[in-house]
Amino acid sequence: MKTFAVFLGLCLVFVFVWERVDVVRIGYQIERLKHDKTALERQRDELRVKVSELSASDRIAKLATGKLGMSLPQQGQIIVVQSRPTDVHPSLIVPVELKVAKNYLPSRRL
Amino acid sequence: MTSSLSRGRRYALLLLLLSGFGVVLFRLATLQVLKAAELSVKADRQHQKTVSLEGARGTIVDRHGKILAMNVEVPSVFGVPNTLDRDSPLKTARQLSPILNVKTDELERKLRQDRSFVWLARKLDPEQGHRLDRLSLDGIGVVMEGRRFYPKGPLLAHVLGFSGMDGEGLEGVEHRYESYLRGEKRNMVLQRDALGRTVFPKGMAERNPTPGQSLTLTIDEVIQYIVERELEDAVGRARAKSGTMIVLDPKTGAVLAMAVSPRFDPNVVSALGPDRWRNRTLTDAYEPGSTMKVMMAAAAIEERVVRPNTMVFGEHGHMTVANTVIHDHERLGWMSFSQVIQKSSNIGAAKTGMALGGPRLYRYLQAFGFGQRTEIDLPGEGAGLLRNPRDWGRRSVASISMGQEIGVTPLQMVAAVSAIANGGVLMKPYVVSEIRDADGHILRQVPPQAKRRVISPETARSVTTILEGVITDGTGTKAAIRGFRVAGKTGTAQKIDPRTGTYSASRFVASFTGYVPADNPQLAMIVVIDDPQGDAWGGAVAAPVFSRVGEQVLSYLGVPSNEPVTLALASRQS
Repeated sequence: MKTFAVFLGLCLVFVFVWERVDVVRIGYQIERLKHDKTALERQRDELRVKVSELSASDRIAKLATGKLGMSLPQQGQIIVVQSRPTDVHPSLIVPVELKVAKNYLPSRRL
Repeated sequence: MTSSLSRGRRYALLLLLLSGFGVVLFRLATLQVLKAAELSVKADRQHQKTVSLEGARGTIVDRHGKILAMNVEVPSVFGVPNTLDRDSPLKTARQLSPILNVKTDELERKLRQDRSFVWLARKLDPEQGHRLDRLSLDGIGVVMEGRRFYPKGPLLAHVLGFSGMDGEGLEGVEHRYESYLRGEKRNMVLQRDALGRTVFPKGMAERNPTPGQSLTLTIDEVIQYIVERELEDAVGRARAKSGTMIVLDPKTGAVLAMAVSPRFDPNVVSALGPDRWRNRTLTDAYEPGSTMKVMMAAAAIEERVVRPNTMVFGEHGHMTVANTVIHDHERLGWMSFSQVIQKSSNIGAAKTGMALGGPRLYRYLQAFGFGQRTEIDLPGEGAGLLRNPRDWGRRSVASISMGQEIGVTPLQMVAAVSAIANGGVLMKPYVVSEIRDADGHILRQVPPQAKRRVISPETARSVTTILEGVITDGTGTKAAIRGFRVAGKTGTAQKIDPRTGTYSASRFVASFTGYVPADNPQLAMIVVIDDPQGDAWGGAVAAPVFSRVGEQVLSYLGVPSNEPVTLALASRQS
């Protein structure tokens, strides 16, 4: 009985110590993961700023006109076509096939 | 004998053990009971670290979610000079100098100071941080701090403003919405081990500090870019002192673009003075000149003083009022009231204004929002200058009718023109449309806000027809946009010469304000060019900017043309 009590006591001490050590180990692990998370979030934010810088209209326009030889459309070169008459109920609109000249197709490149 | 000896030994041993336990118990009692409070504080100091954390400042995006201002954690470098030996400062300074872009001498001087902490460089670029990571220097530490980035550079700088070194908003939206953008500040207690590593935050349930809220602006980045490019170009070509331009949605009062030239980069504000930061569109009042005739016309038509076809005599270009002479730019005879506006006749406007009378003119100018702030959600707005009729002179009614003796801000003027464009209702201009929390949930949506009805829809239509004539047959032909009906008015106001205190014959403010398409306005705009050289007429300097911006923005927004277009579509069999 005595031996059993001593054994039980030792087990309890072992479990207690093991638990404390494990808590500390998990604590370190959490801290490392938090550090990784912070680093990744920082990297994400840096990339978001970079994307925003690279997609600035000013930069795109400079690249388009300076490097790619593009130019702004002149007056009348852009025609906006209303997709459907506003005073007609959508159910009354009959779809028709629209043929566009081949050299206007966006897939054709010079 | 043996047993007595062994008993004696046993007692001695027992005494020894009891003494030992006694000492331990005494020590234990001293530590745990008598000195418990004092030692507990010491232990906490050794094992716990209190850090002050601040949630990241909120992001600012345009109406399509494009980032205009954002916080990123960047490294700041500090030194601990009193831990360095004699030779280290020079060696360390040489290693850090190329990374920090700070002179070696300066770094060495800082590191030789008799101090325990000194900043060497704050809020570096992320790239510099990556290079610093590869160095491991004694007596040098790195902490992460939030730095504000404006990825579009100078774009929208006068509206966004900027924040200071400690992250507080100092100008523009950053300042006005400081309480929303600023992240929560809180202290957090961390447990440290013998090596100083963080083991476990005390009370894991404690949440991190809440980041600041994010703002969605009514501004459209592309429209803003078009406006800034065209305005810079116009100011440069006219060799003008400065220029301002605003694009509003006349039906809601939402500001789509707001630009000031010259621009500044909010990422590097320290090199510039407040004169460059000022958002002149809402701080600076100017005498509007002939653009004020639009409001006078609206008031006179609403009060049935005139109709568009009422005939007015132009006095052949000269008219005396209160012992002063009012001139027109050409010798005009009889003309309809529509022509008074289209030809921008000062005499016709003065006569109509005088027929309307001072009190009614004043009432309408107030109703259009002059002499008071528009209450836009930006700091530093001026109220302009509209004197009380009690203080008016004998010529004031005539002068104000043609845009003199009154000071307006470009924002007031475009808001008033928007009221005519939308059928007569003065809207409150605004730049922030939504406030969101860090997870993107909408906390507050800002609806358009009507301030009051100023004129009837019928009067607004009449004025629109007159203003269309300004573009087709009047002084504003260069504001025309192919395929669209444009309504607008030119303005060329003489500036006051500070030396003489009278109107200068060579310095002007050229402006144009109007809206498009005239029958269903999507855009209300104002262009103001301050002190252009050479041809300084509003119709020559400002109207073309209106046209170029209008054409590109209408195309960008997909607004269909007023003119029917026949497209020749063909297919070819291959």
